[in-house]
Amino acid sequence: MKLRFARSGWAVKVLTALGAIALGGCAYTSNLTNPHPSQEPVADTPERGRVLYLRDCAWCHAAEGSGTGRGPDLISGTNGAAFTDFMLSTGRMPINDPSEPTRFSSPSYNPSEIEDLVAYVASLGGDGPPIPVVDTQAGDLALGLELYQENCAACHSTTGVGGALAAGPDPFDRSLIAPALTQSTPIQIAEAMQVGPGTMPVFGRDTLASTEVDSIVRYLGHLQTPDDRGGLPLGHVGPVTEGAIGWLVGVGGALLIVRLIGTRVGEE
Amino acid sequence: MRRQRTSPPGSGVALAFGFSAVSSIALTVVYGFGGQPQLEGLLLGIALGGLAVGLVRWAQDLMPGGGYVEQRDTEMGGPAQSAAAVRSFERGEQEVQRRSFLGKALAAALGALGLAALFPIRSLGSAPGTSLEVTPWAEGIRAVTIDGEPVRPEDLEIGGVLTVFPDGHLDAADAQTLLIHLAPGVYRPVASGREGWAPEDFVAFSKVCTHAGCPVGLYQPADHRLFCPCHQSIFDVLDAAAPIAGPATRPLPQLPLEIDADGFIAAGGDYSEPIGPGYWSRPRA
Amino acid sequence: MLRRTAGWFDTRLGTSAFVQKALTKVFPDHWSFMIGEIALYSFVVLLLTGTFLTFFFDASTSISVYRGAYEPLNGVEVSDAYRSVLELSFDVRAGLVMRQIHHWAALVFIGSIVAHLCRVFFTGAFRRPREINWIIGVLLLILAIFNGFSGYSLPDDLLSGTGLRIAHSIALSVPLVGTWMAFLLFGGEFPADEIIGRLFVVHIMIVPVLIIGLLTIHLAVVWRQKHTQFREPGRTEGNVVGSRLWPSYTAKSIGLFFAVSAVLSVMGGLAQINPVWLYGPFEPQQVTSPAQPDWYLGWVEGALRLVPPFDVRLFGYEIPNPFFPAVLLPGVTFTLLLAWPFLEQRFAHDKEAHHLLDRPRDHPVRTALGATTLTFYTVMFVAASNDLIAKWLGASIFGITLIFRILILLMPPLVGWGTYRLMKALAASGAGHLSEMPLAALTNRGADGHGAHVDGGKGHGAAGPPGDGHAGNRLGAPAEEARTPGG
Repeated sequence: MKLRFARSGWAVKVLTALGAIALGGCAYTSNLTNPHPSQEPVADTPERGRVLYLRDCAWCHAAEGSGTGRGPDLISGTNGAAFTDFMLSTGRMPINDPSEPTRFSSPSYNPSEIEDLVAYVASLGGDGPPIPVVDTQAGDLALGLELYQENCAACHSTTGVGGALAAGPDPFDRSLIAPALTQSTPIQIAEAMQVGPGTMPVFGRDTLASTEVDSIVRYLGHLQTPDDRGGLPLGHVGPVTEGAIGWLVGVGGALLIVRLIGTRVGEE
Repeated sequence: MRRQRTSPPGSGVALAFGFSAVSSIALTVVYGFGGQPQLEGLLLGIALGGLAVGLVRWAQDLMPGGGYVEQRDTEMGGPAQSAAAVRSFERGEQEVQRRSFLGKALAAALGALGLAALFPIRSLGSAPGTSLEVTPWAEGIRAVTIDGEPVRPEDLEIGGVLTVFPDGHLDAADAQTLLIHLAPGVYRPVASGREGWAPEDFVAFSKVCTHAGCPVGLYQPADHRLFCPCHQSIFDVLDAAAPIAGPATRPLPQLPLEIDADGFIAAGGDYSEPIGPGYWSRPRA
Repeated sequence: MLRRTAGWFDTRLGTSAFVQKALTKVFPDHWSFMIGEIALYSFVVLLLTGTFLTFFFDASTSISVYRGAYEPLNGVEVSDAYRSVLELSFDVRAGLVMRQIHHWAALVFIGSIVAHLCRVFFTGAFRRPREINWIIGVLLLILAIFNGFSGYSLPDDLLSGTGLRIAHSIALSVPLVGTWMAFLLFGGEFPADEIIGRLFVVHIMIVPVLIIGLLTIHLAVVWRQKHTQFREPGRTEGNVVGSRLWPSYTAKSIGLFFAVSAVLSVMGGLAQINPVWLYGPFEPQQVTSPAQPDWYLGWVEGALRLVPPFDVRLFGYEIPNPFFPAVLLPGVTFTLLLAWPFLEQRFAHDKEAHHLLDRPRDHPVRTALGATTLTFYTVMFVAASNDLIAKWLGASIFGITLIFRILILLMPPLVGWGTYRLMKALAASGAGHLSEMPLAALTNRGADGHGAHVDGGKGHGAAGPPGDGHAGNRLGAPAEEARTPGG
């Protein structure tokens, strides 16, 4: 066996090496995945928050929330009720593979389970902001636009579709994204602003008054149903998709038309 | 492109013109009822398209088409004609050459007028002077937000960022500054002489990218990076905003900060060097 | 009635001789000869819609309050320029569709100029005696790009304002005179208030007048020199075969005008473009991401992103980084473009007049160089959306940028070499069309480098040897329905 492999071509050797590395990598990452993935409902008792936490969260964040090599602590910085509620209600947590970046997805828990988990995590000692109270109707649309443009548009785009951030400069780093805000609820928006999740700055209660928060939320609500009276929005990213359509439909369409009007070589 | 015809010749053309007319009328109705962009575009397109289809079909199916031949002038002009033209010009030119002094005087006068005519270009704008080297920031001038509100350290959480201007100069675009609240103990002054520039973990850098001048609006507190969206330069806040990737070659100039007697954040002087993109005579620090 | 009118003009101007010649003038019918007309008619649409827009646009940066149907900005102080565009988009009937047709027409105008340039290049139509028209054409391209940029910068919105900031910095980067250039063009340090008003004058008067003037000369030269044509039975270096101007070519051409304007109208109504109300008014301390210019400046933007970080410092002076991708590169690009007919005359040793066109396979070096150049600029152009690509693919921006840096070095020479081999194989195989060439032909190298002589008179323009500068049709039977002028 060994002799035959040693005589095989370089391509076989390289592919085998790559395969071994891939398998090893899988084995390594599998060490990171949740050893207790469970969808079974937990009984609704006063202890539910703690039970869920110990079952699903403690393997990364430690039983008392002090953090492990796989996940940060839940006590320092802006950790608290708002942070926990944001991560759970946007489906960013729990996560099966901590080496993956967090992403917006559907929540793993129902609202009352989230409430219990939030209460338990908040009790661990973090003094971050509580779940904010947001009154969208009290916000002013024009003020919201001004504040959004000043503080948020650079990362999340003026149209709210999000954008790429500075991952790297190692070219093989995973991507970093300021997410699209098209599906965020008012509370989630306010929570994110006050807590600064991931790589987002903190726009906290000392920086923005509650009327300003309400206004930004109201403007984002408006952006979520944008005024596209011009027609198809083409992704709301501007000149890139517009140029593509200009070429494909405009120039391409016109070229098709002249092909129909003119002759080809060999025709009269 | 002749095709077999089962209907009277020209009926396709007439139909196209008919569609066009109907569409034009519909367009005026839509306009009369207040207009609607999608309908306006669509109906106008059909109106114009009907005319297009009709005209092209008429030309292709009913008009005499290609096969006509026309001869070229394979020799345009000719050396004899060309020489005659040059001779005519030279005959006139001799009048000027014979009076060479007058010719030179004319040239001098035209040249002087031409030069004078360039001078109004100077009125188009101000002289660069030192305006690229200085901003309104100076010792003691408070940092204010775009609403004119001065800033206390308590107004910005750790991990937060604010865009500030010098008090009284909200329209000074070159003075736009990023005010950043770092976590305690993280900041180390990199260059000598900047030890007192970051009181209470507040640090400030010019927001104008040193590559092509875009506002460096993206701040990532988790890895202390400033990211410019235009050409993707990254600056490291903990290394005096030195560029670590992208086409920028110089760090974002740092603004010295101090806390004034009333507890507001103020500048300790102008920036460490001229802000913004480079230029030929940019003074080196 | 017609006779009387014709007589009235003729006795005063002597026009009848010209009119008689003009009406029977022959134009070849090949479809690719109408690409220039797409550009021409897009320009007409630009003039018509643009005139409408000038009645509403307010080219001033003075602050005023917008009061209108767009709620988030209702009651907000913005510049007059931005306010007038908001009003045009929301509060003027048909205003938005006119704006959008105008902007789509600009994109298609420049796109069709580029397509036309490629057709002229790859068929060798720029060769003597048409060098003049080539130069005029490249100048028209430069003017069109400039007018596009000045046009979309007029609304003073956040996206185009960011572009103006970059333009100011690019002006600054010019050695010796950069600071003066930037300050005189803009009126001072950025953001100077005068720039919108100045761009308006340039955009509606100075450049359009130049374009109309050059276009007129461009068309007059085509008229005088007569159009080129492909090698086909009956076509020689000494004649033009096709349709007469009146009535059929006129009908088709006007039909094309209506077709182009129809496409632009439908796009203007159904596809939103440049929604400045979503971008917000320009504020110098704000920025949006992603930020790209319109497509025809994408190659400059891509170059700005791909060029590595370096300045040039000499004797205490500096040439900053943006100079190289944004001043030097376009300068070299357009200089080489303008000089191309003369470069080819020198290096291909061919100063003959040509009225019969090459097929790309007839001149494989030119075709390969053209493909190399197109690839180079296309990679740069796509690189301008590196941040969007990174977002869509979930990859690191720097990984994507690194890939583009590798691609821009590798792809152009690879494509050039491949094109050269393909053209040689195509010529040697004698196939009428690329789709008819057997794959096996790719492994043959054309023995003598010339296209094979194929039995003439057979369908798709079988090529004679290139450089056939003399009259005399080698390709078989004359055209079946040859008619002489005046017949």
